[in-house]
Amino acid sequence: MLAISHLTVDYGSARALDDLSMDVPRGEVTAVIGANGAGKSTLLRTLAGLVKPTSGSATLDGAEIIGHRPEDIVRLGLSLVPEGRSTVPELTVDENLRLGGLWRSRADRSSRQEELYGLFPVLADRRHLRADTLSGGERQQLAIGRALMSGPECLLLDEPSLGLAPLIVTQILELVRGLAIEKNLAVLLVEQNAVTALRAAHTAVVLNLGKVVMSGAASEIAAREELRHAYLGY
Amino acid sequence: MTVANLLSRISMSRLVVHAPAFIVLWLLLSRLNVALDPLYSYYLALVAMYATAMLGMVILVGLSGQVSLGNGALMAVGGYVFALTSLNWQTVPFFGWPWNGTWSMVFAAIGGLIVGLIIGLLGARLQGPYLAGLTLGIAVGVPAIANRFPDVLGGSQGFKLTVPYPEGGYASEPAQSETTGVSDEAALDEALGLAPGDDGGGSASAVPEPSVDSGDLLTLDDVQGGASAVPEPSVDSGDLLTLDDVQGGASAVPEPSVPPVPSEVAGIPGATDAGASTLDAATGTGLVLEQWQASLAVAVACIAGFVALNLVRGRQGQMWRAVRDDPVAAALVGIAPGATKVSAFVVSSVFAALAGAVFAQILTYVGPGAFGIGLSLSLLVGVILGGRSSLVGAVIGAVLIVGLPEVVSGLAGDRGWPDQVANNVPNLAYGLLLVLVVLAAPGGIVGTAREWWARRRGRPTPS
Amino acid sequence: MSTFLDYALGGVGPGTVVALLALALVLTWRSTRIVNFAQVGQAMFTTFIALAIQELTGSWVLALAGAMVAGAVLGLFVQVLVLRPVRRSDTSGAIIATFGVLIVLQSLAAMIWGGDPQSFPTPVSNAGIEVGDRVWPISPYDLLILGTAAVLVVALTLLFTRTGVGLAMRATAFNPEVARLSGVRVGRMLGLGWALAGLVGAVAGVLVAPSATLSPNSYDILLVFAFTAAVVGGLDSLVGAVFFGVMTGVILGLVTGYSDSSSAPVAVLVLLAANLWLKPEGFFGRGKARVV
Repeated sequence: MLAISHLTVDYGSARALDDLSMDVPRGEVTAVIGANGAGKSTLLRTLAGLVKPTSGSATLDGAEIIGHRPEDIVRLGLSLVPEGRSTVPELTVDENLRLGGLWRSRADRSSRQEELYGLFPVLADRRHLRADTLSGGERQQLAIGRALMSGPECLLLDEPSLGLAPLIVTQILELVRGLAIEKNLAVLLVEQNAVTALRAAHTAVVLNLGKVVMSGAASEIAAREELRHAYLGY
Repeated sequence: MTVANLLSRISMSRLVVHAPAFIVLWLLLSRLNVALDPLYSYYLALVAMYATAMLGMVILVGLSGQVSLGNGALMAVGGYVFALTSLNWQTVPFFGWPWNGTWSMVFAAIGGLIVGLIIGLLGARLQGPYLAGLTLGIAVGVPAIANRFPDVLGGSQGFKLTVPYPEGGYASEPAQSETTGVSDEAALDEALGLAPGDDGGGSASAVPEPSVDSGDLLTLDDVQGGASAVPEPSVDSGDLLTLDDVQGGASAVPEPSVPPVPSEVAGIPGATDAGASTLDAATGTGLVLEQWQASLAVAVACIAGFVALNLVRGRQGQMWRAVRDDPVAAALVGIAPGATKVSAFVVSSVFAALAGAVFAQILTYVGPGAFGIGLSLSLLVGVILGGRSSLVGAVIGAVLIVGLPEVVSGLAGDRGWPDQVANNVPNLAYGLLLVLVVLAAPGGIVGTAREWWARRRGRPTPS
Repeated sequence: MSTFLDYALGGVGPGTVVALLALALVLTWRSTRIVNFAQVGQAMFTTFIALAIQELTGSWVLALAGAMVAGAVLGLFVQVLVLRPVRRSDTSGAIIATFGVLIVLQSLAAMIWGGDPQSFPTPVSNAGIEVGDRVWPISPYDLLILGTAAVLVVALTLLFTRTGVGLAMRATAFNPEVARLSGVRVGRMLGLGWALAGLVGAVAGVLVAPSATLSPNSYDILLVFAFTAAVVGGLDSLVGAVFFGVMTGVILGLVTGYSDSSSAPVAVLVLLAANLWLKPEGFFGRGKARVV
């Protein structure tokens, strides 16, 4: 389980995360939703080690991850699929996947790679092509695949739906949900697109201005969201 | 870009305020010039000359954010244009202005402008390293051009020029000076600031001098025998700087207010009268050569400082800084980033060319050796150490470049270090300081001082 | 026609050296987005070390090996001590720092070994090979240069395309954040990039030493040649650096043959200027050179 405790992050004088605490259990997808600037991306980037928090801690199965460098956090079992350009376009599909598992042993790597090609057949077809020949959805699959190559206990996804067609998004998120259950991963999913995220998730947390304002079962939050949609149109 | 547009970038009120300040500065420096021993005038001339060039470097490197190794080559352009035109244009009067060299200075500035424009258009709009590399190539290539056309440009030996002094000439007879009896070579060495016995071959140049062996592909004819990164043209004093011409004898100063000083440049046997008239107390300038050179250098430096200050403090300076800090934002407010960067390059080129013309007159000589890459590096070192975004930093840098080698050599000499080590200590210091400044104090002396001062008062620092 | 061929072929050996130096420049550019203007200074310094080894042991091979080790160490040293601490946003600072390092290396070399040019022995003959009744402009030594360079380039290519380290280095160069998130120790990759560049530069320095008389400043002209070759090829392109390095040598051979040696830097300068005007990102480059 990923346990986040009193995490505070400041960008200069602007507070992005304000004493945030939450748990991300294994075997489930936890969605983090909220308006722009609510601090969602900051949360993920801080957990991955790209941003240094002002205070607070986070432990993955008991091991502290705050204060370590990103490359070490990966070895502790946490993998981030960052927003946007999260593959290396100049490398081939195969190389992108290999990259994700470089720090593991070769045997580990090849077995994992084969498994992922099974999971993402589209990638298998294009394995020796450069990543920039892939479509948006395919690239997102590759990005997730790369993150999975390191055999994480906890997977963080930063707005995977960005720029993708709704059908693709649904497919990918369903896949992620399946993985979470199958491999007993703790999945933290950050999304702008609340409706889609809530459908794929088990639990949801709503952030506003760096604080948790609502949390609970995804279906419940969804109901409230729909209420807001219905009455206020957003 | 219309004239009105250009003029709008200069604030008239600022000009009015600044002008008297510079006039006062010029008067003070001139007074200092004649009050001191001619050897100090020589140093003053060097500092003023370097300051002129470094003002341009501050505009280019500091305010516009472009690293260039080419200003030494642009000084060469100015120096050579001056030398070539003054050979032929000396007699053409400049609208009644008494000094015969004015036309040549103008041509030197124009030459700098044209060459600067070409280089700027080529490189200023590219990312930093491209311009740096291009200007490096130019710095190395310019001496080669002189070698390529030895008839016109004097080849690797360069050529002497006679200084277009005002009517009345300057003193040639060592009237009251104490001839110390040392050999003329030693006296010349001392005048040029070279360590005794140094024929320029000992120290490594602070930068690329094409080394030799014609016929070998990756080498070039030797242009210089390892000039130091510092001012002196490293030439075989025996060969190139012949002493036929009057080279500043001791004073026989007519003005009673200036006491006769024993000139360090003692009477040089064999100094003939090649055209220099003896001093005419009524119409002469009363200055020895070094003093005249210093007065020219100081005048040019003051004018340059005046122009620079007005540009920097005005709209043009803001445009330069804006493009340096954020070209996209600048473009969005209507500033053309490419043209702005090129303009900074051109302005610095004109300054460099003028400094080069002054340099030629200080040395009374132009040759590839004097304008090698060591010179470009000295300019860069000077502005970085002094403060790359500060005009005052340019002056401080000039003082450092002229003074540091002397100080360091003195220290090294005291400790009895071998020549091989002692000659290279200044360059080593330059290199280490460059790195240290970039890492620890990017603003140089002035920049760091400003930051410290601003922090004490709790205010944001200017850039 | 035979003179043309003679001149051109005569330039291949020197061109190979330029190619290696250009390769070194591209290596540091790709890994850290910095053009290491101190590269020739490093090459000069390590060649002096090689000369010392040569004089001590009499073995050229040992000298070359020693230079390679020294080159890698020096390259790593410079990256870690000087370039890494420079703030990423201060591109002017990085450029200035490399010039600082160049000056330091030249002054140190002059202090330690003096400013006089030294000669470096060749392990094999430097005279043109006779085939049939003709003396060709290629000597056994030129062949040694070509052979050594070829081995080096092949080794590097294998490193980059077939090994995990090579993949990590390429990923770091293309997208450091994703590399980090994949567990790559990015700092080490940067240092490794500079170490490799230093090694390549050191090899170039030793190879060129016999013809360029070694002194603290004698390699500086090579910087201009190597930079031009790297830029014309595209600063991102290893292939471009090698190809245009050799081409630069050939051009220099032709220019020096038909004109004289002082035209060489001018010719290279014209080439550089033309390239920056027409195609600043280079022939094989894919990066963006023009900023404003």
